[in-house]
Amino acid sequence: MTVQTHSHVPHDLCMAARQGLLPALGSGWLAGFGNMLAKELGEWFRTRRWLSQFLIWTTIINGFIAFLLFGLPALASIMPETQSAQEDLFAGFPPEIGAVMMYFSIVVMTGTMGVIVLAQDEVIQEKQSGTAAWILSKPAARLAFILTKLLSNTIGMLVFIVVLPGLVTLGEIFLATHQVVPLVPFLAGIGVILLTLFFYLSLTILGGVLFDSRGPVLGIVFGVMFGCSILKNFFLQISYVLPTSMEGVALSVVLGMPLPAMLVSQVISTAVLSILFVLVALWRFQHIEL
Amino acid sequence: MDSDNSLVIKTHNLSKTYKEVQALKDLNLTVKQNSIFGFLGPNGAGKSTTIKLLLGLIQPSGGRATIFGHDVQRDSVEVRKRVGYLAQDPRYYEHMTARQILGYTARFFYRGPKDLIEARVGEMLELVGLEDKADRAMRGFSGGERQRLGIAQAQVNYPDLLILDEPAASLDPMGRHDVLEVMERLRKYTTIFYSTHILDDVQRVSDTVAILNRGKLIAEAPISDLLAGDGCSAIYDITLTSEAEVALAAAQDRVTGQLWVQNLSMTSDDGLTCWQVSVTDEAAAEDMLLQLILEDHNLKVKHFGRKTYNLEEVFLEMIEKENSK
Repeated sequence: MTVQTHSHVPHDLCMAARQGLLPALGSGWLAGFGNMLAKELGEWFRTRRWLSQFLIWTTIINGFIAFLLFGLPALASIMPETQSAQEDLFAGFPPEIGAVMMYFSIVVMTGTMGVIVLAQDEVIQEKQSGTAAWILSKPAARLAFILTKLLSNTIGMLVFIVVLPGLVTLGEIFLATHQVVPLVPFLAGIGVILLTLFFYLSLTILGGVLFDSRGPVLGIVFGVMFGCSILKNFFLQISYVLPTSMEGVALSVVLGMPLPAMLVSQVISTAVLSILFVLVALWRFQHIEL
Repeated sequence: MDSDNSLVIKTHNLSKTYKEVQALKDLNLTVKQNSIFGFLGPNGAGKSTTIKLLLGLIQPSGGRATIFGHDVQRDSVEVRKRVGYLAQDPRYYEHMTARQILGYTARFFYRGPKDLIEARVGEMLELVGLEDKADRAMRGFSGGERQRLGIAQAQVNYPDLLILDEPAASLDPMGRHDVLEVMERLRKYTTIFYSTHILDDVQRVSDTVAILNRGKLIAEAPISDLLAGDGCSAIYDITLTSEAEVALAAAQDRVTGQLWVQNLSMTSDDGLTCWQVSVTDEAAAEDMLLQLILEDHNLKVKHFGRKTYNLEEVFLEMIEKENSK
């Protein structure tokens, strides 16, 4: 080994090159992005987490859909007074559409809570335990740190909360009704649902950046979630800004129905607010002391 | 970019204030290439704050710092590419194994075939003696094992600068010995900047020392200079025996009569007389002091030598002096 001099190639690169290693890709605001994303995705897909998440969400979502499609008709044959229950729940739509509507509703309701619970610790835990300081003492950019949290959780929730239960739902509908739900409109509806979940994910991540304990984060995000659904009954204007009826938007997209101005505004506002949450989280995390 | 290649770290009036508390006051520090720089100070002196500022983990309230000529705030990622860092209380993902931690760390610096990364990881595990615990999850690691893993992850990129925050604080004597040995071994290849309050360790391995107290730098010097005294005067310890009190008194007169002798203090014990002679001209003292005493053959010199300090004495004296201001 030779002593490195600053006028030549840095010592670390000389040493690494001798071993066949090359400098990592990504610099500036993307430094460490690939490595951190691989690690974060690994937490979803290379541990037993994927199995538990798959089981949790298919049990909740598809279990409910199965009850509506198979359980209620079976129940009606034993208890005739429950005969109209499915029709009531499906709001008069045929079962294949009613099931899609219920899928969107339950994903928005339970998925939102799931996203909040799963993401509440993503930043706070790393700040509290000191792992964020450890990672950011390496050539890893702060922007990349937050972006990998957002991206990995978006992919995780897309796969386990939205897509896999969605595909199982299509299978359940086919088995129950022998009807095929058109895939492209259904995927467009899924996009709307994903936007809703991303809204809450970005708000939760922002909370994690701004606060050092879980209490305020959970309070704010659940406050927005439950507050929206209560306050929209009193202040209709809220529905122009916050995602109060995104399951309705998703169903309208599947049915190819035109969206009223309020829902168009809601979709645009949800997207804009999500981006705003991400930008504020990125900006604030740049200045956080670790 | 700063162009002085011999300087690895340079700070200019670096300051940090937390609300009302000034944790670091106008720190001006220079760390030369390939030195082992001991950064000393009592708890709360601002050592960890300085290290976090250098790594860009916190922002300065004033001043600036450069590492390898790069501004630590503006070019933080570039700086961190060439630095290895061990935190005071290193924390890792508890579910990951030592091998996974090192692999993850290595991939911040390098890309290449998986087996080459693994080889590098294996090399580091061997360096710190954790080969047999490589596949155990972090949650089962003791404090000492975490510290050893910390050194391995800090060294994984062959850093040009190794920053260690209290590297031996939580280790048993054997662990401390191992850490110091690793540091001495790395001296040839890298610059080491480390904070500690274990003064024996500093005296053993450091070549330059800075002492920080209440956020203020109170000394920065090569360790040999610091141990030699305050630089204005040198003290000689002389032990004498004499049958005749007169001869002793005459020798005392001869010595104190010299212009370069500042002070002579005397103690007697068990037939031995001990002098502490403080001089302003070290060269003159080296030439003449012993001769002046031995002019009288009735005097016998049992010991003659320049007084040396240990780091603990110097450290405590400086801290006390500073605190009494």
